[in-house]
Amino acid sequence: MKLVIGGYAQGKLAYVLEKYRLQEDVVWDGILPDQTVPGQKTIVIDHLHQWVKNRILDGGYPEREIEAFLNDFEDCILISNEIGNGIVPLDAFEREYRERMGRILIWLAKRAEEVERVICGIGQKIK
Amino acid sequence: MMILVIGGSGSGKSSYAEEVVCSIFEEDMKKYYVATMQIFDEEGRKKVERHRKLRSGKGFLTIEQPRSIGRSIEKMDAGRKTVLLECISNLTANEMFAGETPKLEMQVVQSVISGLEQLRKNTTNLVVVSNNVFEDGIIYDRTIMDYIHAMGEINQRLAAMADQVVEVVVGIPVVMKQ
Repeated sequence: MKLVIGGYAQGKLAYVLEKYRLQEDVVWDGILPDQTVPGQKTIVIDHLHQWVKNRILDGGYPEREIEAFLNDFEDCILISNEIGNGIVPLDAFEREYRERMGRILIWLAKRAEEVERVICGIGQKIK
Repeated sequence: MMILVIGGSGSGKSSYAEEVVCSIFEEDMKKYYVATMQIFDEEGRKKVERHRKLRSGKGFLTIEQPRSIGRSIEKMDAGRKTVLLECISNLTANEMFAGETPKLEMQVVQSVISGLEQLRKNTTNLVVVSNNVFEDGIIYDRTIMDYIHAMGEINQRLAAMADQVVEVVVGIPVVMKQ
């Protein structure tokens, strides 16, 4: 698994598609698939943070669910926004989301074979 | 030696800073943890508890110093010491919003920086944790913008004072100044 992070609107998806020569049809937007399309080896999960937020809102347990997903689909590229670089939100849910998202990204970064941060469309390999 | 560790919320900056402290600590030193967070509710209590667990068994002596950070030295023994200060965003907020009306930005910057200079002078090793509060793209009211601005100024001055600056991203240290 590879992890790609960065701020909003930094060109993360375009960077991933170009670097790994992938087409849009391997991209899952804000969802984790149960099964892939036959013939697709590598899959890309875009907007992972949105999936995490939705799972928390739905009372799910994204920490456990993503681990189960990775056990089935190790060959994937996860793309997520970094959302922790701001003022502590007034809203309790937003605070919980930010904190859990941060911990999930730390866990994913530990598991990832490679971590890249994209700024201005440029990837910086940090692991 | 002074090391500045910066990162966002949930970036893993605290546990990294603790690792750094333990790696530069020497047997003849005292190891202090200077806590700046004030507890107002259950959530704050839990946060402090989580950090306490992270530190437990590592031999830290804890000093609570929500404001006037230079005075924390008075609570330490003489001799060689390694100090972990966590964190600048709470300290800055406590300084700014202590009174009935917020203190002026430059006053806050001055008091935080002069306190840090004192700490630096009186410690063998100083590890300071600060936050990246700058990238959520939201325009807040004047008071919060002043706070963010003060934080930016303080971070820049601390980075200039520090021998090493490390940004922690998803738990990974990225060295910015060495």
